[in-house]
Amino acid sequence: MTELFVNGEARRVHADPMTPLSGVLREELHLRGTKAACGEGFCGSCTVFVDDDAVASCLVPLGLAEGRSVRTVESLADPTGALSPLQQAMKDNDAVQCGMCFPGMLMSLTALLETNPSPERRDVHEALVGNICRCTGYERIVDAALTAARAATAAVEEDAS
Amino acid sequence: MSDVIGANLPRRDAEDKLRGRTVFTVDAAEGGLLHAALCRSQVPAGRIVSIDLEPARRMPGVRAVVSAADAPGRYGITIADHPLFAVDQIRYLGEPIAAVAAETLEQARAAASAIVVEVEEYTPLVTMAQALADDARDLHPGWEDYDVLVEGGRRGRNIGWEATVVRGDTDAAFARDDVRIVETEFVAGRQNQAPLEPRACVAGYENGRFVIQTSTQVPWAVRNSTARLLGVREADVRVVVPPVGGGFGMKFEVSLEPFAALLARAAGRPVKLVNSRQEEMQTALCRENAEIRIRSAVTESGEIVAREAVVLMDCGAYGGEQPFLTSMTAHTLGGNYRLGAVRLVSRAVYTNTPPNGAFRACNGTYCTAALERHTDEICAAIGMDRVEFRRRNVLGDGDLGSTGQVFEGDVLAPMIDRMVALRDSAPVERADDGRLHGTATTVGTWFIFVGPSAATVNLNPDGTATLVTAGVEIGSGSTMQAIPQLVADSLGLRPEDVTVRAADTDAAGYDGGVGGGRTTVSLGAAGVAACDEVRRKVFDLAAEMLEAAPGDLVLTDGHVAVNGVPSARITLREVAERAQSVSGPISGSGSFTGIGVQPMSGCAAGHMIGALDLPVFAVHECDVAVDPDTGHVEVLAYRVVQDVGRAINPRAVRGQVQGGVVQGLGYALHEEITIDARGKVRQTGFETYRMPLSGDVVPVRLDLYEGAPSFGPLGVKGAGEVPILNVAAAVSCAVADAIGKPVSQIPLTPQRVLGLVLGRADEDVELRHIGPGWRANVIADPDELMAAAGV
Amino acid sequence: MTVPTAPGLYQPTSLDDAVERLAVAGPDAAPIAGATWIMRSPSRGEPFHREYVSLARIEELRRIDDDGAALTIGAAVTHARLAQALTGYPALEALRQAAAASANPSVRRQATVGGNLCTRDFAAADLAPALLSLSARVVLAGPAGITTAPLSTFLTTRDSQPPGTVLAHVSVPLAPVVSAHARLTLRRAGDYPVAIVSVAATLDQAGVVESATVAVGSVEPVARLWPELAAAMTGRPLDADEAVRTARELAGAFTPRTSVEADGWYRLQVLPTVVGRAVRALEPHGKAGRT
Repeated sequence: MTELFVNGEARRVHADPMTPLSGVLREELHLRGTKAACGEGFCGSCTVFVDDDAVASCLVPLGLAEGRSVRTVESLADPTGALSPLQQAMKDNDAVQCGMCFPGMLMSLTALLETNPSPERRDVHEALVGNICRCTGYERIVDAALTAARAATAAVEEDAS
Repeated sequence: MSDVIGANLPRRDAEDKLRGRTVFTVDAAEGGLLHAALCRSQVPAGRIVSIDLEPARRMPGVRAVVSAADAPGRYGITIADHPLFAVDQIRYLGEPIAAVAAETLEQARAAASAIVVEVEEYTPLVTMAQALADDARDLHPGWEDYDVLVEGGRRGRNIGWEATVVRGDTDAAFARDDVRIVETEFVAGRQNQAPLEPRACVAGYENGRFVIQTSTQVPWAVRNSTARLLGVREADVRVVVPPVGGGFGMKFEVSLEPFAALLARAAGRPVKLVNSRQEEMQTALCRENAEIRIRSAVTESGEIVAREAVVLMDCGAYGGEQPFLTSMTAHTLGGNYRLGAVRLVSRAVYTNTPPNGAFRACNGTYCTAALERHTDEICAAIGMDRVEFRRRNVLGDGDLGSTGQVFEGDVLAPMIDRMVALRDSAPVERADDGRLHGTATTVGTWFIFVGPSAATVNLNPDGTATLVTAGVEIGSGSTMQAIPQLVADSLGLRPEDVTVRAADTDAAGYDGGVGGGRTTVSLGAAGVAACDEVRRKVFDLAAEMLEAAPGDLVLTDGHVAVNGVPSARITLREVAERAQSVSGPISGSGSFTGIGVQPMSGCAAGHMIGALDLPVFAVHECDVAVDPDTGHVEVLAYRVVQDVGRAINPRAVRGQVQGGVVQGLGYALHEEITIDARGKVRQTGFETYRMPLSGDVVPVRLDLYEGAPSFGPLGVKGAGEVPILNVAAAVSCAVADAIGKPVSQIPLTPQRVLGLVLGRADEDVELRHIGPGWRANVIADPDELMAAAGV
Repeated sequence: MTVPTAPGLYQPTSLDDAVERLAVAGPDAAPIAGATWIMRSPSRGEPFHREYVSLARIEELRRIDDDGAALTIGAAVTHARLAQALTGYPALEALRQAAAASANPSVRRQATVGGNLCTRDFAAADLAPALLSLSARVVLAGPAGITTAPLSTFLTTRDSQPPGTVLAHVSVPLAPVVSAHARLTLRRAGDYPVAIVSVAATLDQAGVVESATVAVGSVEPVARLWPELAAAMTGRPLDADEAVRTARELAGAFTPRTSVEADGWYRLQVLPTVVGRAVRALEPHGKAGRT
């Protein structure tokens, strides 16, 4: 039995300690927003936060996440139901196609914006080196990330003034 | 016309996808599911001596084991050459031999690996050169006895299908003394579609019928092929399709569904089967590798008096799509340009490699690359500007295509002019950084794979509509975005008042599938036809209610109104409610199929598509910089002028173009698949199968060309398929321009480009297995073909 | 045949406990830290060990200590943390660049220094050449106690260490060097580099190289020093073009590996270019020295 804190809630799971965290989230906790498209840390569709680090959960053995806090794509939207600014920017930019990569894209970009609120385009590219999208050709995803960042920065500046 | 058409409406499925709530087939998790695994061949070729399933049956958790004895049929598109499990012979590494269902995936995999298979190995024929050698072993002994599903292709000697085009006296034209003869060879590798959702399905067995939920583009083809393989009635297979996590053609054929169906019937419980990424890398129905020789006779003034070509397409161990796709050579490689005389042969070749399949702009990508490289070499030979040559020679109104079809409208030439304007509007700077710069302009012809579609539209008592089709949402937005937009426009509703029923072969009529750029055209037209019936019924009823003539009524804003009398109107809901007591609920059904344009008599043999019902054109241009020290190609700018007929949702079209071009950049530059001498795909995952990442791409500058002839609804043409068509062509030509040497092979990985820059011999392409001249490369009697074409 | 037993995970909090557990288990157990390589064992067709002994909860292996003479980096420090910690160490720029550019961001947040140096089949490790160029030593904990060795020695002997040996720390001397790291990936980023070059040099007031260390990764199966090139660079001003020419003359010293990504000839052919990029990154230091 392993205890983790998933999206703010203590959860006990039964899987073996070397089971990939992505599998535990999907199979045991039914958090299927986290995908596992390559299983090798290259596609990024399984990206979640473990404590403060956005990582490929397919490469995290459950045991190493014991007692730690895990945040998945399901936690991004406001509990009231509103999309997060980043999610909303994706929607507004018509960025979504098949949708398989988006949970991971959103987590990687959330990690970027948490550490760098005003990224340049190349910062976004670098943040997404581990995220593959096969449908969109990326430009709208990058645009949406920059839009969300600018909106957040503008809001902060407005608050300050 | 309403404000729905041409509007950049948002996608109805975006929000759930962003929240991680969308349930794809890989996410299916109903209670009591068994998990399945396949026992796959570890060798590429051999005779099966024995298969012992007993060890698997004794393993813990195992609930069912099935093998060839359970699946008597064979399937295919033109020739039924493909059994579900290997029978007698192994033809590729990874070929399924048996399938196991168990309580857990680990148990299923362990049991599958416990199956003992004894094989007398054959030397595998991994390349087309090996398969075409005079003394090559027959991969399909007994091929003459296979069921022929489509007549017309010549077969034999490891050639699964041969299609030919003959028009005009090519021999005479080549013999003219006023022509230059230019010859080009081109080799293209495989490309894995690599949708992030692998092939996956869940099957159950209920009331004597198979119920299959699957990640597919073609629910009806899965229904039919599964029935054929399992030897049951088609009516006893039901296919339902939730959102699909990418397809790009790989899911255009039956795949895992029959295995899961058999296991579900045997175990009496639903069974889930999902390919691992490693399985997808070894067995994806890739875009086929191809080898091409093309030869033209051109006058000094740039007239192409004759062209001939041999195109070898590797179908892998079984025919699949490739025999059908041999048809496309006539229109892709044989397309674009006015040709005095032409003869082409396209051959689908069996090899001991995983079967190939369909991939966005099948055949078109490499044939266009070969043709456009050839075109640039012609320009170099006669000293003509590359854009000018194209402008002079592209097909225009009344010109003949290779099979003698008469083209309608001047489209490509004005598109080239639009490209020049697009380029001039934002010139690309060439940094003086030691890199070699190149540019290229390429043209391409594709088509809409129209084919039959059915749709039903129900007008619900609340005045909303429900659209029922077998259209699948694979991510392109055509099913969730474009078609409801068309229906909403037709019924005067808001798109959100049109509910889209997920594909279910028990609910919707036949459809050819989502692919080939056909969805918006075919399903859209069927949907609009269904709406026409709804409109008629609504108008008949509303005419009584409004005391007006049906012909004076219009549908707008959820109302039926008398044209020109805005106050005289009632809501659609009122009409729908009224219908409940007068006629019963209102619904309409609609259907659509191609118009059946024919080739010139005797010109095309072995073609399932002898002429294009609905051609689509594209002009692509790119600027590249090549690092002469490392061979890295950077795409500096990319421009597209695309014939879309009419853009229903321009923003969605732009999204398709960006995505398609980037997939093409992967094909042209990064995505390499190599198969070793043992038939194993060396790229086993995304570590080594290099798809473009966000830093590798550029924003595509796009000009949507509207107004070309189209019989699609409101003049639309499909927009999602064609963006990949001439990317490899544009990149190959631009790199050749940059390095000043011929480019004859893709992908243009850094190693390959550096090899070209350095003149290394291992980059030389020499297709010795393509015989000299065209006649040496046809099974058919060349003279008979010429005679049939009236030469 | 049976369903394989799930591997165990032992998570000690002290280094001694880890060493003892590994020593007792012998070849049945292996250390694990970031897990990014080990978790891919199934896709490589390699069986798991019966047990993994985690280094992740051993506090001393997660530290980076500066005693003025050397930087001691714990084996369980991740690439991302290392890159962040090195921003105040311009001399260790090669290492910072290596830690900040390897693999992809999420892997860098997991993968550790120890894993990068101990994974035998990972020829394209970035930290290995960077640390070689900076003359790092490894600190090994084992049943017989603590030993240290030059990294270059460890890389060629790591397969023959006795059971229970744990790479505990890497010690990087804080010398007055300038350093740079260059790597050539096939895409812009995200794949393993086909050639890696790390260069460290001490410069005199005039910008002339007093001593140099050059290390090469990914070209051969194991990263190694390139003393001949280092010697050729010594006593001259930093000059990238000259370094490329010299590297081209001396590249015959390598027996390049061929893999799915690239043939040996390609790695060898681009190696001088990668050398040039690393040296070019250092040239401003040379010019600064002259002023």
